[in-house]
Amino acid sequence: MRSLSKGEVVEQILLNEANLDLHFVQSDDSVLRLFVLNLSPADKTTVEIYVDQQGRGCRTEVYSLNLLRDEQRCSMHTHITHSANDGQSLQLIKFVLNDKAKGEFYGELKIQPDVRHIDAQQTNRNLLLTDEAEMRTRPQLEIYADDVKAGHGASTGQLDDQALFYMQQRGIGRDEARRMLIAAFCKDMVMPLSDEAKRTELMETIDRIV
Amino acid sequence: MKELLRIRELHASIAGKEILKGVNLSINEGEVHAIMGPNGAGKSTLSAVITGHPAYEVTSGEVLLNGENLLAMPPEQRARAGVFLSFQYPVEIPGVSMTNFMRTAVNERRKYQGLPELSASEFLKLMREKRKMLQLADKLQGRSVNEGFSGGEKKKNEIFQMAMLEPCFSILDETDSGLDIDALRIVSEGVNRLKNEHNAFLVITHYQRLLDYIVPDFVHVLADGQIVKTGDKTLALELEEKGYAEFE
Repeated sequence: MRSLSKGEVVEQILLNEANLDLHFVQSDDSVLRLFVLNLSPADKTTVEIYVDQQGRGCRTEVYSLNLLRDEQRCSMHTHITHSANDGQSLQLIKFVLNDKAKGEFYGELKIQPDVRHIDAQQTNRNLLLTDEAEMRTRPQLEIYADDVKAGHGASTGQLDDQALFYMQQRGIGRDEARRMLIAAFCKDMVMPLSDEAKRTELMETIDRIV
Repeated sequence: MKELLRIRELHASIAGKEILKGVNLSINEGEVHAIMGPNGAGKSTLSAVITGHPAYEVTSGEVLLNGENLLAMPPEQRARAGVFLSFQYPVEIPGVSMTNFMRTAVNERRKYQGLPELSASEFLKLMREKRKMLQLADKLQGRSVNEGFSGGEKKKNEIFQMAMLEPCFSILDETDSGLDIDALRIVSEGVNRLKNEHNAFLVITHYQRLLDYIVPDFVHVLADGQIVKTGDKTLALELEEKGYAEFE
């Protein structure tokens, strides 16, 4: 378990880790920013992330991008608990599934009784590149308090045919057009990184892989 | 004059329903043709079929560009060969920058023409020149393709792309729809600047208004999947006055 002290800011990148079991406890005004990036993952990846905001005014951000192909499997479970007032949490989880890949996202968001002024957002967006790829998504909101804002959204879709045709009509080959659209879907996942060099490096890695 | 585009007995359908029922059309270099007609006549289907939209099935007939069989080519190949469509509804592509999109498109066209690819600085210079020629603001270039653009900005952006790609055959599909008079003027002045003796335009429109600005050499009436009447620009005025009742 990792404890963040008062006001501490932690930014962590976890790249292609097949087995993650992360536990964080946050004290007052701390900021935790996690990037869980499975760009060239193992055949089977499991991720468990537990965050408990025990101090006031904490902020938690979880960004996760999972690029799966062949018969790769990835399950991503997040458990975020707001145990103190004035906390914020933001989760943005994306899967791009090619071939026969399977992805799973389970997002548990808990706001404890009598906790106030919470702003919690969970978004899961997925791109299926074949008919055989599969995605399961399950948001789990447990809200035991009143004066809070909590939202979640999940969408799973395919590449935009209209955009593909538009790009082809300008002379861009279908494969290249697909690649550009997938890269565009992925790009905003590394934008929040504060380290600019790292951000550029990861962006180039994504461009190379998709 | 050299024939650029030839459409012969073209039949096409969507989801099993026949929309084009034997279209014949010949367009020479240097010409502007207008296609008018009631809603549902097949005007947009014609542009979709020429450019290779996958939703439509060509059941018979042919479309030749400079004698080459367009229908055998995938959409991107037709574009590289010089066919351009100014979309009625240009598509927003979040996350794909206008610059990156346009550079890829321009270089594909150049490769097809046997020209070397443009370097980043040559490309930016070309963008500046074309923007200046069309009197377009710079602000659109830093953004994603069409994302958050107003209706007028989208149509101007289509003409800008046309200027960048220098196609030999351009289709303007209902370019005037949703444009205010200032945007209409900028768009049509752009088209008139791009017009030369080696290219041709097919202007698809429901209204005569656009043809005050882009003056056609020929006007065709498309009704129920066929060209039923051909005339000069006075035909457009006549249609404006009488409507399409006689063709419906």
